[in-house]
Amino acid sequence: MATASQHRIRKRALKVAHFAGLFLAMSIICLPGLWVVLNSFRPTVEIMAKPPVWIPESLSLDHYRAMFGGAGEGGVPVLTYFRNSLIISVTSTVIALLVGMAGGYAFARYRFKGKGVMFVALMASRAVPGVALSLPLFIIFGRTGIIDTHFGLILVYVAMNVPFTIWLIDGFFRQVPKELAEAAEIDGCTRWQAFWRVEFPVARSGIASAGIFAFLTSWNEYALASQLTRSATSKTMPVGLLDFTSQFTLNWGGMCALAVLMIIPALVLTFLVQKHLIAGLTFGGVKG
Amino acid sequence: MAQVQLKNVVKKYGAVGVVHAINLDIAEGEFVVLVGPSGCGKSTTLRMVAGLEDISGGEVIIGDRVVNDLPPRERNLAMVFQNYALYPHMTVRENLGFSLKIAKRPQAEIDRAVDEAAGILSLTPLLDRKPGALSGGQRQRVAMGRAIVRHPDVFLFDEPLSNLDAKLRTQMRVEIKKLHQRVGSTVIYVTHDQIEAMTLADRIVIMRDGHIVQVGTPLEVFENPVNTFVATFIGSPPMNLLEGVIRAGQVVLADGTAIPQPPGLNVAEGRKVQLGIRADNIMPEGHALPPTAHMAFVEMPVILTEPLGTETLLYATLSGTEMQAKMLNPRPVSAGERMRFGIALDKCHLFDAETGNSLRG
Amino acid sequence: MTRNRLPPWLVLLLPAVIIILAVVAIPLVLSLYSSFTPYHLTRPDTLWKWTGSFNYIKAATDPNFWKAFGRTVLLLTIALNAEMLLGLGLALMVSKVTHGQRALRTAMMFPMMFSPILVGFQFKFIFNDNVGLVNNALQSLGLTDVAIPWLVDGNLAMFAIIFAEVWTSTSVFAILILAGLFALPQDPLEAAKVDGCTPWQSFRFVTLPFLMPFIYIAMAIRSLDVARAYDIVQVMTNGGPARRTELLWTLIGRTGYVDARMGYANAMGYIAILLSIGFTVYFFLKLQTARRELGMGD
Ligand SMILES: Nc1ncnc2c1ncn2[C@@H]1O[C@H](COP(=O)(O)OP(=O)(O)OP(=O)(O)O)[C@@H](O)[C@H]1O
Ligand SMILES: [Mg+2]
Repeated sequence: MATASQHRIRKRALKVAHFAGLFLAMSIICLPGLWVVLNSFRPTVEIMAKPPVWIPESLSLDHYRAMFGGAGEGGVPVLTYFRNSLIISVTSTVIALLVGMAGGYAFARYRFKGKGVMFVALMASRAVPGVALSLPLFIIFGRTGIIDTHFGLILVYVAMNVPFTIWLIDGFFRQVPKELAEAAEIDGCTRWQAFWRVEFPVARSGIASAGIFAFLTSWNEYALASQLTRSATSKTMPVGLLDFTSQFTLNWGGMCALAVLMIIPALVLTFLVQKHLIAGLTFGGVKG
Repeated sequence: MAQVQLKNVVKKYGAVGVVHAINLDIAEGEFVVLVGPSGCGKSTTLRMVAGLEDISGGEVIIGDRVVNDLPPRERNLAMVFQNYALYPHMTVRENLGFSLKIAKRPQAEIDRAVDEAAGILSLTPLLDRKPGALSGGQRQRVAMGRAIVRHPDVFLFDEPLSNLDAKLRTQMRVEIKKLHQRVGSTVIYVTHDQIEAMTLADRIVIMRDGHIVQVGTPLEVFENPVNTFVATFIGSPPMNLLEGVIRAGQVVLADGTAIPQPPGLNVAEGRKVQLGIRADNIMPEGHALPPTAHMAFVEMPVILTEPLGTETLLYATLSGTEMQAKMLNPRPVSAGERMRFGIALDKCHLFDAETGNSLRG
Repeated sequence: MTRNRLPPWLVLLLPAVIIILAVVAIPLVLSLYSSFTPYHLTRPDTLWKWTGSFNYIKAATDPNFWKAFGRTVLLLTIALNAEMLLGLGLALMVSKVTHGQRALRTAMMFPMMFSPILVGFQFKFIFNDNVGLVNNALQSLGLTDVAIPWLVDGNLAMFAIIFAEVWTSTSVFAILILAGLFALPQDPLEAAKVDGCTPWQSFRFVTLPFLMPFIYIAMAIRSLDVARAYDIVQVMTNGGPARRTELLWTLIGRTGYVDARMGYANAMGYIAILLSIGFTVYFFLKLQTARRELGMGD
């Protein structure tokens, strides 16, 4: 029989283990990212120093200056990439949301034959690996002349994001009782008004979280973008990262600076909707 | 205000019919209650009137227009849903004013109508809350308020009180009745609670399996049920039914007990019947209403008692059937005690044993 | 009155169906066709030469292909299981925290915001044998004085890749499991306590069954995106050194784009596609069963 004091000691030990485990896990999660941020402020010599310099001696904005100056670091047109990324991600997210909203609504509100099969087929289309898809797309886009255009990539990203968007939004519309739209119709709305004035606002947070996922996917996608873009007219930032590499060298500092530029919008967006994000994933998935 | 007519209205889901050619005339300002067991098509009928459900056959007429193809917004009716369907993202004020806003009425008029409705339903202090912060009864009142701001031709209620506790339900029942007396609109009210039906209705419509079984005032359906279904559905506790055969003007039960036929009925010898007796019409001797001209007496063992205060409900067996009887001025009764019961024959019913149809007139 | 119109659900689904047909289905048909030809990017006329199952037989008899296939399955198995277990552990630890839980939750989502390509570079940098964070740290702490060849040795490189992959995706599991823990009803847990369950037993018989659907969603979400690992691997090792970390996807990419043998690449691509779709369908079916068991389904 364990005595009371043994219990107390055990409890204390568990507490310490809990704290230590959490600390370790959080360090592993956060350190790599912080390391990237830190290195974006350090001169290349210091990054590459042997033996390593642990306490940074000088922090500078050199990499950022070079990056935005355009000339320095091999003249990577970072701002153009940023603009491309932004245009492509935002446009494709908006379209994917609209298409996904229509589809999710259909799944949530109508019964029809083959619904389950259709749903899984849509999801399966998302599972096709980018690299396997990029080969035929590369050929088709080459033939139709939409390779290396914003339009081409937007099209691809919409198709990539629609299944997951439908999944999440379907789950959210199911949380909205059907009677709400009916009440609105009786109150004098057309179906269209009932959707936009009642169902849409009620499911808004779910739609927002679907939007974040779509945005992050487009913003971060590499496998397809690397094949379907050629030049500064359409290259996105993930592809742009490769401009900092050459056959045998890597410009770590510059790359880190671009990485920070990539992460910031994602970070801000995620912070803004982090609460909805979790709710979106659970509702969409489990309860759907 | 408008009359509502259903002419041979049919609803089918694919090949399955859920409402079978029902006919119903509802007069202007009438309060009609649809009752029936779960799944009998009450909600479907109501929703066809509302325009939320396509009509598979027949005609629905509101006022003097056939509305089959009109969307709900053009039918000028209001509906209170079972789960209220309040808009969760709007305050009570916005919920109440929504229909007028959609109709693009001037803001001043909306405010006036909302304030008036809020006053009637004592919602004024809650106007700036969202539905999430209201109690069940308050939500129910908002749902009613949303219906009355519009002064619709027809009110539709789909089990509006079923989510409330017993006390609140009684209270809201009174409110609804008052509301109807004040605004005088036509009301179609769905419930499966027969007390609600009896207390609220001008006329009750009893449905089963997509058919209308009987239409009539509460008293009519209570006193003259057309078949055993209505007889057991309306009235509480449900009517007792005893299987028997007619022999020499008497109903002879399986165990040989003979009870005279109710007066005014003349059923052929040898016919199989069911004798219907309400608990109020079978009472133990000495604890009953004064006897009437037509009485019959039986002896039964009591198996269970349910004291209700001013009266006690007795459960007893007669010819293998469980019977419920009322005991006035109750005294303690122990289980197993045999008592003599008087049956008021002129209040009893006879039904055909096979079809269940009433043999009266 | 009823005109012959498309049913509304079809109208609503049509945009989604059309765009997916255009961007996914049609290309897949094309790649299926070209996988039966010796199509070579630089020689367009080869697209019209039918060779039947030649490419598939070639793939099936190519030991490099089977090694890559096996390695891919191995990587997915290890990574998904590790992610699930670590995610479960992380979620349990975070759920026990009372102060500053919100901050922890937000930090937990950090890796989800990283582009996989960025994750690849980041870990390529961290595991660099010369100036990488890991070796620097080990050497400064005096744990070793040689430079460990993280990305050069085959096994170590696989480890590094799995580490990177797990780093990015554990948070998906952790977040969903955490959401499940929040939704966990308290009464059964209390009942279990009263019934004399040890903490382990109540976890095993009450908490875990309840969490299963959440774990399946996470699996289903991940299975939609397993090929993300391609980006990471491509940057960290690109299948090297000497094919020791070759995965199906890197093999396909190299055969298609570097060697320009599109027909052959597409044949291998088809096998990879079936593998992914198999994963996805499997987890969606699991998810539906789990939902039904908890009474949350349709
Ligand atoms: N979309 C549908 N498809 C097929 N059958 C349906 C559909 N909707 C309802 N039904 C069936 O129609 C019948 C009538 O349903 P309805 O909702 O009108 O019943 P109700 O009388 O309102 O019952 P309750 O008292 O339980 O509300 C039920 O048997 C139901 O199963
Ligand atoms: Mg109903």
